[in-house]
Amino acid sequence: MYRSVPALALTTAVLLSCGPGGKGGTKTTPVPDLPAEPVELPAIPSRIETATSQPTDGDTPSARSPVLDVMSAENKRWMDVLAKANDPAYYLAYQLVEQRVVSMDAEGGAIIGDSDDTDRILDVEIRVGTPELDNTRPISGDDNELNAPLRRRAVAPFGNDKLALANHLWLETDRRYREGVLALAYVRQDQRTLGKREAPPDFAAGKKETYIATPAALVFDKATWVARLKRCSERAFRGVATRGSCGLLFTQNTAWLVNSEGTQTQLSWTTAQISVSVGVKADDGQGLGRLEQAFAQTPSGLPDDAGVDKMIDAVTKDLDALHKAPLADPYVGPAILEGRAAGVFFHEVFGHRIEGHRQKDETSGKTFSSYIGKDIMPAWLSVFDDPTLTTLNGQQLNGFYRFDDEGVRAQRVDLVKDGKLVDFLMGRNPIAVSPASNGHGRKQAGFDPVARQGNLVVTSTRSVERADLEKMLLEEVKRQGRPYGMVFTDISGGFTNTSAFAPQAFKVEPVMAYRLYPDGRRELVRGIDIGGTPLVALQSIRAASREVETFNGVCGAESGWVPVSASAPSLLVEKIEVEKSFIPADRPPVLDAPSIRKGGVR
Amino acid sequence: MKRHVHLLAAAAVLASVTPAAAKKVPPVGPPSKAITEEIIDAIAEEMDRALARLELPGAPKPFHISYKITEVEVNDAVASLGHVTNKKHRHFVNLECRVRVQHDGVDNGNFVVPGGEAIDGSAGISLSLEATPRIARRAAWLVTDTAYKEALIQLRAKLDARAAGGVKAGIPPWTTEAPVVGEEPVLVAPLESLDDVIARAEKISAVFRDDPTIRESHVAFTSYLERRWYLTTEGTSVNDTRRASGVMIVAHGQAADGQELAQYFTRYGRTADDLPGDAELEREARTLGANIAALAEAPRLDAYTGPVLFQGQAAAGVVRFGLAPNLGGTPLPEGINPADAKLFGGALTDRVGLKVVAPSLTIVDDPTIGVSAGRSVIGGYKIDDEGVAAQRVEVVKAGMLTNLLTSRTPASASARSNGHARRTFRGGAFHGSATNLIVTAKGGVAAAALKKKLLGEVRAAGLTSGLVIRQFDDAAVTATTELARRELIQIAVNTNQALPPPTLLAYRVTLDGKEQLVRGAQLAELPIKAWKDLLAVGNTPTVANYLASTESQIEHRIDGVDEGFVPSSGIESSVTTPDLLFKELDVVPSTIGLRARPLVPPPSSK
Repeated sequence: MYRSVPALALTTAVLLSCGPGGKGGTKTTPVPDLPAEPVELPAIPSRIETATSQPTDGDTPSARSPVLDVMSAENKRWMDVLAKANDPAYYLAYQLVEQRVVSMDAEGGAIIGDSDDTDRILDVEIRVGTPELDNTRPISGDDNELNAPLRRRAVAPFGNDKLALANHLWLETDRRYREGVLALAYVRQDQRTLGKREAPPDFAAGKKETYIATPAALVFDKATWVARLKRCSERAFRGVATRGSCGLLFTQNTAWLVNSEGTQTQLSWTTAQISVSVGVKADDGQGLGRLEQAFAQTPSGLPDDAGVDKMIDAVTKDLDALHKAPLADPYVGPAILEGRAAGVFFHEVFGHRIEGHRQKDETSGKTFSSYIGKDIMPAWLSVFDDPTLTTLNGQQLNGFYRFDDEGVRAQRVDLVKDGKLVDFLMGRNPIAVSPASNGHGRKQAGFDPVARQGNLVVTSTRSVERADLEKMLLEEVKRQGRPYGMVFTDISGGFTNTSAFAPQAFKVEPVMAYRLYPDGRRELVRGIDIGGTPLVALQSIRAASREVETFNGVCGAESGWVPVSASAPSLLVEKIEVEKSFIPADRPPVLDAPSIRKGGVR
Repeated sequence: MKRHVHLLAAAAVLASVTPAAAKKVPPVGPPSKAITEEIIDAIAEEMDRALARLELPGAPKPFHISYKITEVEVNDAVASLGHVTNKKHRHFVNLECRVRVQHDGVDNGNFVVPGGEAIDGSAGISLSLEATPRIARRAAWLVTDTAYKEALIQLRAKLDARAAGGVKAGIPPWTTEAPVVGEEPVLVAPLESLDDVIARAEKISAVFRDDPTIRESHVAFTSYLERRWYLTTEGTSVNDTRRASGVMIVAHGQAADGQELAQYFTRYGRTADDLPGDAELEREARTLGANIAALAEAPRLDAYTGPVLFQGQAAAGVVRFGLAPNLGGTPLPEGINPADAKLFGGALTDRVGLKVVAPSLTIVDDPTIGVSAGRSVIGGYKIDDEGVAAQRVEVVKAGMLTNLLTSRTPASASARSNGHARRTFRGGAFHGSATNLIVTAKGGVAAAALKKKLLGEVRAAGLTSGLVIRQFDDAAVTATTELARRELIQIAVNTNQALPPPTLLAYRVTLDGKEQLVRGAQLAELPIKAWKDLLAVGNTPTVANYLASTESQIEHRIDGVDEGFVPSSGIESSVTTPDLLFKELDVVPSTIGLRARPLVPPPSSK
């Protein structure tokens, strides 16, 4: 399958291969004290204007596909038998995703990749046992996940033919049921071995939902886009770049879901994405790259050539500057995380740790499990996740969806209210404090769903103008006796460890990092990562800007890649820790580059 | 074309492979639009610049640089029960560079870096789909630089390994070969369209609708074209084009005791004209269905030791799995781990000049042919994967091993490549390998006489029945995604990788000549010496084209066939052989693939 490189790898490390073995369990990390004398901030909230679309908006029953009838009939045929079997199944869900992916890439003015593929991917989820204890319960010592469901990329035929579709549903249901029966036997044996242990149920019931979307159509003129990509990539190949490419990714998706609770949904949407990417190797061997992307619901919503030129200007200027920039030294001190960087920071440092299933996983560090109702960040900050948001401050949000991949309505969830933790992101894997799903069970086709972020939004009831934030940074530099403060304007992604067997640390990778000196001079530096621990980092936030920016991207975790957004004001952080990043032992090409001019040879 | 003028005088000008077309001469398609003379010139200029100037301080310069440009176009379709499940058009161009460096007579080649199998002195990069010389040169610059740095690491590791483990003295690191020039485009028939392969896959797959004995079935068609260009600092500048079309029909069922059953039919040819027509394919599909139904009722075989007759596709299979891997003359790569070394083959490397098979057999490997025994074969090429001209090689003459299939990695000081280097092994090592392998025999007899000989041997051995095998499994074709994780673990634990694949069609033959289909017949190890005890051969050759996989059968079983595809992945190969009667082989019963039957019957259109 051809896929473009994901926009941004917001990854999370989940060491599921490690059993509890006495090492897990909730650690009660003390909440760091808030500063004794908080900085006075104007009681003016950050500017956020949003638009939403409710899950049932646009329901069009007349657009129902016969595919849903085949799926529900096969689901019923199986459940009529399995519900009464020796090892009864209590839940069966089918999701069939048809996805057309149009991908083109150009380098230096020429097309190097051109594909247009359509696949149908079938996922079957079956629960054998009871909601209190079923085949999905992790067992102790299962380091190699032998008892976990085996994901296989089941295919299904195109079209609506009843026999062909039903046969593939039947095959995968049979495999999943056999697997579930085998797994449940090990689960029961494990329970007998472990003795009585209090644990939340394995599954939360959902209510019956019905929704039919009109099939979305992907409309674009290929010749026009080929010409635009060539133009883009020719212009991107300048300055110090040894790689200059432009890519587009258009998708047309239809997802049908039925389950044994009676839910039947047909969702359909298109996406469009254009990217400009440049790269070069620094003299010390560090690979330098800059990537700008734009997202839209349709190809026509993407930037025009003038907009793309701005993206090219941004990445090529940044790359040239990075190539000349010095390597930075480790640093601890005040810093500003500008809007998009602050969004990514929250996604990594906070968002992944608030995903509900991590609160019950014996191998997870459960950073926030015991903090419901407690202060975890300044009282003027709140955080919510709302997949029903379509735009924020006029910008389209990537994390919009109507129903999650478990057939539950997308819902806004207040996660932090006035600095206090109030809830978690939940799929249908319940925890003691959140026994039901709040519509965040998400996955990529071919994976099993877990709780994931959608549109994460950080709001502030107190804020300052962006320019004032910089003044506050310099005051903090002076107060702490530092030679300079740091400003991060772009973060490419990160890594956060949620395993109980390692420190609950995060590391994010800033692409554009500046030293801001007391005289106002800015100096770009490279070769650093931001590290730290989440509770300390969140408590270190001292001020927020009025302007809110949005990062759009895709996020990879155990349930695959899902589209997300993260919106936040720029943030002043009292103390941030900067580490040297790994730079491989390498060097730029031995020979000078040959000319890329027509007919030119250096 | 200004490149390599200084070397052309020594170059052997290569003639195109002349396919003696079996049927009609198909129309030829256009030459590549992506790779033109200007692209080759641009890469050649960068190659010359690199050879002259590429050098890191204190490190050896490259003494040899080679490029392989590969342009692939494929139309694939898979259908099940009359409806397509996958369809793909692929078109891409890749530039691969290999750099060789040496120090004190040791070069970086044929060495597996422990823990760093990917470090092999090569690097690859995508080229544009439309000819853009300045971008091609830029790509050559980057890929050569990367390959050079890798080659230096590989050489360092090899020198360290030799220092620790001793030096093999007297054998040069690789052979010197005459450069090859053949720059005229090799034009081949155009691809069948994606719509065509979809339509045929849907039509043939519909045969299995409403057949209650079939759990799963699918039909795949492929149309495949691979253009290659080789360019080396020795002066080679040559191009070649490989073209293949194929069909694969697969059906699975389940016996009453739960054992999984599989049947398949594959055919490959140079174009779709070489494949059976729709009516014949529908008949073959129905035959697979009938075989599944019969196997579902068939008894399991008990342990058996005695004469075994391999007929048709199984005769080709026993040559493919039991003989072909041992004909390579490439020495084991240094640094290879013992487990991989077992799979590398080469059991006959020290047996040249000795009798290795029955004296009636003569074996030839010929990559220069397009037709064998009247059928198109797909294992041929003009140049091998190291840019050496293809050569016909007589491997066995009247039972005596006369030659091995060699690459440019010599096993002795006098060894030369005979144009059989293929990347049939994981990692970057080239391996002297079979291409179009042809087994002929004196004294071949008709099928009925051969069966009579089998029964005579059965009687002489005091047995009550003999065994006829007509098909081996090929997990690259039949592996399913139907198994649960713990079921796969059982298969992995219980499968002996040293054995040939399980049989799919095996018959117990009683002394009265009656045949009874049996399940679960698994050949025990097939030692090379068993080939000396060949009792008789048939007089009608079977031609089998197949795609050799670099993965083992067990790896395919565990991974499953990706999205139902198979047909265009693998190394084009063929075997031509008569039926083969072995004096005595051990066959053991196999219970692999047992699982619970479904609680719900398969759906029906009725």
